[in-house]
Amino acid sequence: MNFQLQIATPDGLVFDGEAERVVTRTTEGDVGILARHSDYVAPLDVGKTRVRLPDGSERLGSSNRGMISVSGGVVRIVAVTFEWADEIDVERAKRAAEKARERISRQRTDRELRLAEYKLKRALNRIDVYNNR
Amino acid sequence: MAESMKAIKSRIKSVENTRQITKAMELVATGKLRHAKERIEHSRPFFELLKGTLEDIEAGNRDFSSPFTRPAAGGRTCRIVIAGDRGLAGGYNSNLFKAAAAEEGDLILPIGRKAVELYRRRGFEILSDEYAVAEDVSVGSCGAIGEELAKAFLRGDFDRLTISYTSYINVLTQAPASMEVLPIVSGKGERAKGGLIIYEPSAEAVFNSIVPQYISGIVYGALCESVASELSARRAAMEAANKNADEMISGLSLRYNRARQASITQEITEIVAGSEA
Repeated sequence: MNFQLQIATPDGLVFDGEAERVVTRTTEGDVGILARHSDYVAPLDVGKTRVRLPDGSERLGSSNRGMISVSGGVVRIVAVTFEWADEIDVERAKRAAEKARERISRQRTDRELRLAEYKLKRALNRIDVYNNR
Repeated sequence: MAESMKAIKSRIKSVENTRQITKAMELVATGKLRHAKERIEHSRPFFELLKGTLEDIEAGNRDFSSPFTRPAAGGRTCRIVIAGDRGLAGGYNSNLFKAAAAEEGDLILPIGRKAVELYRRRGFEILSDEYAVAEDVSVGSCGAIGEELAKAFLRGDFDRLTISYTSYINVLTQAPASMEVLPIVSGKGERAKGGLIIYEPSAEAVFNSIVPQYISGIVYGALCESVASELSARRAAMEAANKNADEMISGLSLRYNRARQASITQEITEIVAGSEA
């Protein structure tokens, strides 16, 4: 059975169509959603999102914060950023990881450290998704 | 007469030069405006989904309490003011500052160079001037703004958060607007909606973790609207400037031709008078 999946970011709708299964990373861990799931909301963490399409193929994406909601059979992933594996600018992610590591090494305040750690996590996730494409 | 002809000619030249600049600015604004309008449309679904979820959580949970919904009892106000980086956009910046109506003691988060300059000059306490260039503020920096503001709100740095921006209605109309962001007040009193929603780990936790992103979403949405409004306002202002320049040029050309005609007539009169003598 399939269900409707929408993936939205502030830059627009990334995906809107039928899917058979979606697995994503919430703050509580990975969750998998199948058709006829009951209504559900959870915040997302930095992680991978796998979508299995009705034709059996799988797409991998890098998702970053936001939330997933299931409402009336429609699944919506509302992420701050979302890229499919083949859209990732891996050179940019590597540069971002480098910069974040450098920032962590000369941590000044708590806030800067947390921000740098988050940026590193995001960059490493993108690189990982790219390598698994 | 010849002297006046020369003066008129140089004025025409200078008006033409100015017209070239305003024409170029108009074209630039028109080009960027299309892009800015697309950005507004793209950001809308994201924001509406977040807002809808927050409302559902609040309306669907009776025993729900979050520090973000606590009504403000007096206290300090923090204002996000989104203005432009440059002038030459008609009343865009001044209309916005009038509508923002910041009061003494308010904390200000200015976005855009004009806003930073104004509030610094007036001696307001400024939260951060990291976002001085409105055009450079990205989704990422809006995310950081949302997180910081949510944290500062929880710390009690301020009790109310408002945002002032210019809402983009259409190419000809833009209206300055102010909106309450925090505390979040439920739009609808109660809603009898069938079916329970599962929140993981809990309704409160979901709500509190969405709030910073909701703030970011509002800031980003308002920013997109403001940028589009600024470009529209500049385009309209430049169009008016072009029209003015055209009118001036045609008026001056008329005067120039009259002066030329007069000087020729005078010369003929002098020649005729000379030959008769």
